[in-house]
Amino acid sequence: MELIHNLAVGFGVALTPANLFFALAGALIGTLIGVLPGIGPIATIAMLLPLTFHLEPTSGLIMLAGIFYGAQYGGSTTAILVNLPGETSSVVTCIDGHQMARQGRAGAALAVAALGSFFAGCVSTSLIATFAPPLAKVGQSFGAPEYFSLMVLGLIAAVVLAHGSVIKAIAMIVLGLLVGLVGTDGNTGGTRFTFGITELTDGIDIATLAIGVFGVGEIITNLAQPQETRGLAAKKITRLWPTREDFRRAWPAVLRGTALGSVLGVLPGGGATLSAFAAYALEKRSSRSPAEFGHGAVEGVAGPESANNAGAQTSFIPMLTLGIPGNAVMALMIGALTIHGIQPGPQIMSERPSMFWGMIASMWIGNLMLVIINLPLIGMWVQLLKLPYRFLYLAILLFCGIGVYTVSNSAAAVLLAAFFGVLGYVFTRLECEPAPMILGFVLGPLMEENLRRAMRISSGDPAIFIERPISLGLLIAALTLCVLVALPAIRSKREEAFQE
Amino acid sequence: MSLPEERTNLPDPYWRMFVRKDVLAGLLFIAVAVLGLWISRDYPIGTALRMGTGYVPRLLCWLLLGLGAVVLVQGLREAQGARALSSADVLALRPVVFVTASLVVFGLSIERLGLVVSILLLIGVGAVAARGLRPIETLAAALVLTVLSWGIFIVGLGLTIPVWPEW
Repeated sequence: MELIHNLAVGFGVALTPANLFFALAGALIGTLIGVLPGIGPIATIAMLLPLTFHLEPTSGLIMLAGIFYGAQYGGSTTAILVNLPGETSSVVTCIDGHQMARQGRAGAALAVAALGSFFAGCVSTSLIATFAPPLAKVGQSFGAPEYFSLMVLGLIAAVVLAHGSVIKAIAMIVLGLLVGLVGTDGNTGGTRFTFGITELTDGIDIATLAIGVFGVGEIITNLAQPQETRGLAAKKITRLWPTREDFRRAWPAVLRGTALGSVLGVLPGGGATLSAFAAYALEKRSSRSPAEFGHGAVEGVAGPESANNAGAQTSFIPMLTLGIPGNAVMALMIGALTIHGIQPGPQIMSERPSMFWGMIASMWIGNLMLVIINLPLIGMWVQLLKLPYRFLYLAILLFCGIGVYTVSNSAAAVLLAAFFGVLGYVFTRLECEPAPMILGFVLGPLMEENLRRAMRISSGDPAIFIERPISLGLLIAALTLCVLVALPAIRSKREEAFQE
Repeated sequence: MSLPEERTNLPDPYWRMFVRKDVLAGLLFIAVAVLGLWISRDYPIGTALRMGTGYVPRLLCWLLLGLGAVVLVQGLREAQGARALSSADVLALRPVVFVTASLVVFGLSIERLGLVVSILLLIGVGAVAARGLRPIETLAAALVLTVLSWGIFIVGLGLTIPVWPEW
């Protein structure tokens, strides 16, 4: 009963004209950047963070969330039609989706992807509504030592489950933690790493860092690559509705993909990309005719597409209930909350129920909008692919500049963002993923605060982290993950999982 | 993307080892850690119970130093010629310089010269970063983007950024 009451509150908030507008705006922007290669949801959300500063916090979050799940829809459209994954989460959709398109079944593939995503969106939204409250209760019972250990586990898990070198990713986290400490120490009043620059005494704004590393860094990376040719014209889509046979084969894949994506999304580092890759592997292995995969198997579209949407949505759970970001997008969401002076954590649900439930209700509405709007608009989105990157990057560059300036009203922040842009480019070139850095940056001050509190509880004895059972369990889990990933057998499996 | 090894014109084996991605990454982490330790040399450390300003930062710097060393050693032990920077990477200076410069110019001009002029400056400098952007295209992009930003940020959001230069 409480659930129904909560959802009623949520829909009351989400159905106001302003919030409907922002859900739609977010979903459309998300689809747009999902379609366009060269700009992803992280960079977009970073650029729009300053904008949310001028909105109601609820409306801002609704829009940012819309961008995130909208990008999953948009990414699959170009993957199917022109064999270009707009997002990393739709890389696997290319394999069978584009084959279907070449066989003249583009409409069916698009419809299966959209309907599968919508189904997954509905299921995962209700999962959030069901499991978030009890999880937040658990979170509220945590003391400082438990919280510290939970953050350690979250950070470790985030890099173990992501791709690339684990040791470099951990180094990037530590770097992010250090950048997060720049400014004035709230406890002692001393300044740290400010290089004598007045603007740095307040610390570095998350928007400045994220826009620099992801927005500007991405522009440089893209421009440094030789121009690709994307002259592939899409064939005319003749029939949109899948055949009865398609339906029969797709729906079990949708169910499996949704289940897998929902579980993987909750894990730190999970989210959309991992879910999609895992779902494709699952479909291929459980299929009675694996030879069909790669030649237009409808399951190869239905499974991953459902999984990436489910994973994108359930990755909100740890962020909303515990204040722990599982991926870079969630770190930016936390940034959006802190811009409004809202402390992320388990208390959000009880202190701001209308914001919490409004956002959840809006996710469902946004998913519905995406299905209704996007299927008829597919032709228009594909036309947008013809927009060359040399125009696109100028617009992105400008929005980066104005965005950074407006959030801090300081010219120094723009210069700082430019510096982070170069840094982001250098790291990308050296195969150091910048995403873990933003996780560390967001959690840095929180971890220090909880470490200090824990030490005060134990009068300076670090053994408190292993004396408290919950904290010990969390640390053991983190350690186990580290050991597992170092084992050669697991390591090769892990690399294989991201190849395919 | 990556050019054949012979064409990189870097015959020195030490140099080749140096430009491996993991070696450079390790050195970068170590450099940041050393810089951090040097800057924080006078920060009060305090005790675990009463942590000073420098306690956590120095702890993290030491951790980063260790991790950087591991990455460096891994890079040195890699098989010959593994994942080195190619000369194409080094030649990508054009976007690095002009993208950065455009933001610097924008940041320096927005408060004095206003939104319109600083947008034009940003586009003008930024356009040099990409190859194959024709002057007429740049002009069109500048026009569209100026109107668009004015519409979104000044009219739509009501930001108090000066639009024109202040005399």
